[in-house]
Amino acid sequence: MSEYAQPEEYGLADLLCCAASREVADNEIVFAGTGLPMVAIMLAQKTHAPNLKLIFEAGTLDGRPPELPTSVGDARCEMGASRSSGLNDAFSIAQRGLVDLGFLGGAEVDLYGNVNTTCIGDYLNPELRLTGSGGNPDINSFARRTVFIMVHEKRRFVENVSYITSPGWRVKKWPGGEFVHRRELYGAAYRGGPSAVISTVGVFRFDQENGRMYLDTCHPGKSPAEISDLCQFDLDISRVSGETAVPTREELRIIHEVLDPDEIFIPKVKKN
Amino acid sequence: MSNSKRITLQQAAEVIKNGSSLTFSGFTIWRRPFALIYELIRQHRRGLHLIEVNGGPQSEFLIGAGCVDIWESCWVGHELYGKYGANLSRKVGNKEIIVEDYSHAEMMFRFAAAAQGAAYAVTQTSLGTDIHNPEYDMLGKAGLRDGKRIAKHKYIFTEDPFYDAGAQVLIPAVKVDVAVLCVQQVGEEGTVRVNGQYYSDPEAARTAGITIVIAEEIVPEEYLRRNADQNTIPSFEVDYILECPFGAHPTGMFGRYDVDGAFLKDFYGRTRTQEGFDDFAREWIHGQDHTSYLEKLGWPRMLKMKANSAMNFSPREKKGGK
Repeated sequence: MSEYAQPEEYGLADLLCCAASREVADNEIVFAGTGLPMVAIMLAQKTHAPNLKLIFEAGTLDGRPPELPTSVGDARCEMGASRSSGLNDAFSIAQRGLVDLGFLGGAEVDLYGNVNTTCIGDYLNPELRLTGSGGNPDINSFARRTVFIMVHEKRRFVENVSYITSPGWRVKKWPGGEFVHRRELYGAAYRGGPSAVISTVGVFRFDQENGRMYLDTCHPGKSPAEISDLCQFDLDISRVSGETAVPTREELRIIHEVLDPDEIFIPKVKKN
Repeated sequence: MSNSKRITLQQAAEVIKNGSSLTFSGFTIWRRPFALIYELIRQHRRGLHLIEVNGGPQSEFLIGAGCVDIWESCWVGHELYGKYGANLSRKVGNKEIIVEDYSHAEMMFRFAAAAQGAAYAVTQTSLGTDIHNPEYDMLGKAGLRDGKRIAKHKYIFTEDPFYDAGAQVLIPAVKVDVAVLCVQQVGEEGTVRVNGQYYSDPEAARTAGITIVIAEEIVPEEYLRRNADQNTIPSFEVDYILECPFGAHPTGMFGRYDVDGAFLKDFYGRTRTQEGFDDFAREWIHGQDHTSYLEKLGWPRMLKMKANSAMNFSPREKKGGK
C-alpha cells in the first residue's frame, strides 16, 4: 500500500471514488452503473480486487474494459469480456442471486435506505420528473449488498422519500402501504440490502435489524454533529468508527493517469 | 426476388399509424433508429404508445415533437450528455402525456414473456416500492385498461404456490404493434446480425406484430448464412428492411461509430422549453431528408466518430463531449 495523499493532492470526487472502491472485495460479482461507480469498480479491479467479475446491465458479462466506458451500453464495455449478450441475461443473473454487490445513485434517500430517482414532490403532481427507476430497484432487490453514492444536501436526506423507487430496509407492503422489514416481503429472494451510503460528507451504514441508517465515518474536516445537521431525520451518531480513509497516491495515479485521464467523471485537483 | 422486404424510409414511417404501440432496438444512447424517428416527426405522427425496455434520446425527440400520448418504460435521459429527459418532464408537468412506470427488469421480463407467447411474467423484483403503489396505476386511472391492447391490471400479487418462495408479482406481457431496429447488418431475406451487446433486440423483434430493420448495410443473405451461429434474429421475424448508413446518429453503433455526445448535449440544453424544441426541430429535422442531414453534419464530424475496426469504438472521439 502506497502512502496516503495530503489534503491538497486530492478532491472530493477522488475521496468518494476511493471509498467506493474499498467496498469491493476480491472475487465478487459486481453490477456496474455509469459514472463514478464505474471508475471506483475499475479502480478496485486494478488494486485490491483483481479477480472481481464485472457485469454491465446492458449485457456484458465479466467485462475487462481497457478504457473507461461512458455508459453501460458503450462498445468499450465488452473488450476482453467473457460474454457479450443482452439485458435478459443481466437481469436473470441478478434474479438468480449471483450478484454480490451493486453501485447505485439517487436524488433522495431516507432513514431506511429507500431511494428516489423518479420525481421531486408528489408523483401525481411532480415538481420535477426525473429519469425514472432504470435498474436501480432491480439491483437493489437482488444483490447481496448495494452501495449508494450521493451528493449530500439536507433536502436529499429525508425522513421518508416522496417516492420509493428502490427498496431499502423498511419498505411498503401493498395494497395497504404499511412499512415492513424487507425480509418479510422478499421471502426466498431476500439476500440483504443497502450496505452503505457514501455521501459528500461521510459514509453511512444500516442496522440490519431496525433498518435505520447510522453514521460510520466522517470525511476529513467534518464532524458528526455537522453531518447530523445535514439530515432531516434523527441520525444515529453513536457508532462512528472514525474518519473516512483518504486516497493513496497510487490510487490517485490510477484514477487520473489510467482510468479517467480525460476527466469525464473525476476532475483533477487544480494546482495553485 | 419478387417478394422483396425492401422499403424506403418514408414507407417505413407509414407502416406506423397514429395510435400504434411502438418499441425500438438499442439501449439508452446506443443503436436507436434515428433516421426513422426523424421521419415520423416529419410525417406528424400522433397518439403513439411507446413501450420501451428503457428510453433515451429517441423517446425525447418523439415526445418533444408531440407524437406520443403514452410512455411506458423505466428510464429516460442522455447518460452523461443530459441527466434527465427534459421534454418528458415538461409534458408530465403539463399533464400532456401518460407515464406508466415499471422497473427495468420488469420491462425486460414483460418483453421476454411476450416473446415466448406467455400472458405474463413472474418476478420478485421491486417489491415494496412505489412502482407497485395502486394509486400510481396511470393507465388504469385513465380508464385505458381494456384487456386487449393494454392489460387489465398493471400487476397482480401472488404467493409462490410451488416452493413457498414468498411474494411474487405477475406483470403483463407487452403488446407491441411495431418494432423498429437499427443494426449493423441485415440480409436480403431479413436475417439480422447484431455486433456487440444485443440489449433487448431479439425479444423486441419476436414480440412485435411488425418488425422493421434499418441496417448500416444490406448484405447477401448467403454471407450471413455461412456463419448462422453469429446471427441474432431469424429471417422470418423481420417484415421490412432498409439500408441507411449512420441511421442511428446521434446515438452510437458498436463497431461503426460512437455516440455524438456534443449533439446530444446541444439537444438537451436547447429543448427544455417547447419553443426550444421547435427551434431545434426546424434546424435538424423539418425540411431535411437523411442525406441532407448527413451533409449538414459533415464529413469531419462523422470521421471523428468513426469506430476503429479492431477496437469497435472511436479512439478520436473525446467522450466527455466538452
